[in-house]
Amino acid sequence: MKAFLPNESLIPWLKDLSSSLEVIAPVDVEGEAVYQTWKGQPPALVGNTLSSPIEVLMPRTEVLFRYVQDSGRYTFDEPKVPTRIVVGMKPCDLKAVAILDRIFGSEPTDHPYLAKRRSTLLVSLNCTDPGPWCFCAIMDSGPDAQEGFDLALTDIGSGYLAEAGSAAGVLLIKGCSSGLFLEADGSHEASRDILLENARSVMAEKYGDRSVGHLRRAIRSADWEYLGRQCLRCGGCSFICPVCHCFSIADLGVPDGERVRCRDTCLLSGFSRMTNGANPLGSIGERMRNWYLDKFEHLPERTGLIGCVGCGRCDEICLAQIDRWRLEVLDERSRQQRQQHK
Amino acid sequence: MSDHDSNGSNISKRNNSYSGCSKYSGQSSQGSYLPLQAEIVDIDVESPNTYLISLALPSGVDFSYKPGQFVMVSVFGLGECPISITSTPTRGSLQLCIRLAGRITNGITDSRIGDVLGIRGPCGNGFPLDRMKKDILIAGGGSGFATLRSLINYIVDRRDSFGKVAVAYGARTRQDLYFMQEYKGWQQAGIDVSVTVDIGDEGWKGNVGMVPALIDKFNLPAGSAAICGPSVMINAVASKLMARDFDHSDIYVSMERHMKCGVGKCEHCCIGPYHACQDGPVFTYDMVKEVL
Repeated sequence: MKAFLPNESLIPWLKDLSSSLEVIAPVDVEGEAVYQTWKGQPPALVGNTLSSPIEVLMPRTEVLFRYVQDSGRYTFDEPKVPTRIVVGMKPCDLKAVAILDRIFGSEPTDHPYLAKRRSTLLVSLNCTDPGPWCFCAIMDSGPDAQEGFDLALTDIGSGYLAEAGSAAGVLLIKGCSSGLFLEADGSHEASRDILLENARSVMAEKYGDRSVGHLRRAIRSADWEYLGRQCLRCGGCSFICPVCHCFSIADLGVPDGERVRCRDTCLLSGFSRMTNGANPLGSIGERMRNWYLDKFEHLPERTGLIGCVGCGRCDEICLAQIDRWRLEVLDERSRQQRQQHK
Repeated sequence: MSDHDSNGSNISKRNNSYSGCSKYSGQSSQGSYLPLQAEIVDIDVESPNTYLISLALPSGVDFSYKPGQFVMVSVFGLGECPISITSTPTRGSLQLCIRLAGRITNGITDSRIGDVLGIRGPCGNGFPLDRMKKDILIAGGGSGFATLRSLINYIVDRRDSFGKVAVAYGARTRQDLYFMQEYKGWQQAGIDVSVTVDIGDEGWKGNVGMVPALIDKFNLPAGSAAICGPSVMINAVASKLMARDFDHSDIYVSMERHMKCGVGKCEHCCIGPYHACQDGPVFTYDMVKEVL
């Protein structure tokens, strides 16, 4: 089912949704678009966000359960999961959800993730204006969402072309106050096709030389010791990646407290260190190599999907200016050239 | 969760490759990270820094396991860590051999009889008893011997199903040797047991040296091997065995790794493409020799 949402109907529609669901949408926070619970402000739906909305499903920190002691025995209480709708999720992040579904959905399944996944509706926003680091078209995860969305929007200037991808998506159109959505016609779809084709060609021009095959060869031949020396070991690329899903678990509180899990990254030195001091990934070079191998070799083996969606966030955030696809460090001149090119 | 299903999107409908929300197979329907509460019913001292803890699980819980598997053990407030099961499923109680190593193991051994520990599992694959040959060499070093005791006692209880069996075990000193009171029973069951210590003393009349040196003492046909211990020992034992025509795919190694989730999600225990908690901890030697 397709429909057209005029620009002036966007906020009324979000208000309509927020009367029955928690609406998560990107909003402007000190100049940065951040996914938050929407409270009536204008949504920042332009461009990609630095932090991924994947945090709705995989929060930085979350309580797995609370434990309460009584006479030496414990009772456990798992947190309730609210029903939510994420509006504005870009196709790259949607593809990341598909990858995480396979990771956390494979046996033995991860109940905390799946509980949130089941109670979250996804409204994606196709990418008509890719950012300077975006290359989703090369990774086959954009600029338009192919699957996994309940409703897909495309900004065609005068409003949004809305396409339902599930029964819930149909209800998002049909179930809201009358008059918000109008009938879509052929001109809306033609505008969408032109805009998406333009986005594809922009990315092809900038990043057409990137290929997974080349990167796999680069992983085998890269000087990991050199790259390790350049890496600042901040873990930023990992914490910001919508596919990275490493986590740690810890208890907070005695005798009553919470068992929490928080995002972690295999790039940090203590990640694989055992109690006896042995560390199978002892050097940063080994850890960087493991990071790449996991995304481009091991995850595809396990899930059938490559662990990169082309969002470009790791390129954007890398303080060491490592060209993540050539696996070399950019000097200042080539960095500036690249920026100008963009 | 049914209250969410009616409102939320159901990914299992949209993604055929997704293995299915309804197939949750954790040990309890409550959730995959909720532990069972097991009561400590007995504590024994194996060495100056190693305790043998016997646990009673709640009645009615189906907790079937295989030699070589492990459990995630919780001390609430301190956290959770992986501990190999040292008892055999052929006998009653669940036993864990705890060496004081860090915060959580100290917390476990600070517990008293009657206290509860959290238990998740059993985790991992265990020794593939159906694929292993009947003649088995078991080699352990240090605390790695704890998981092998499960296999040895399993063999003792199912002796007719196995052929020639030999055990080579080494520890740092005489005081560090585990399960000394059981060696006689193993020998009476026809198992060739050979023990060594790195550092001998006046009270020790046995072998002094490394575990690989014990391998030469055995007259064992090329069968299967089960090894757990330091990497150096594993490699040395494996090369001796391969020189005696053991196939590298018949040499099973139990690997130790840092773990957090125990269900193959957190990535802490990755060994190349494998997760030690799910694909292991028991691997064939050819799968892991690159990282040993």
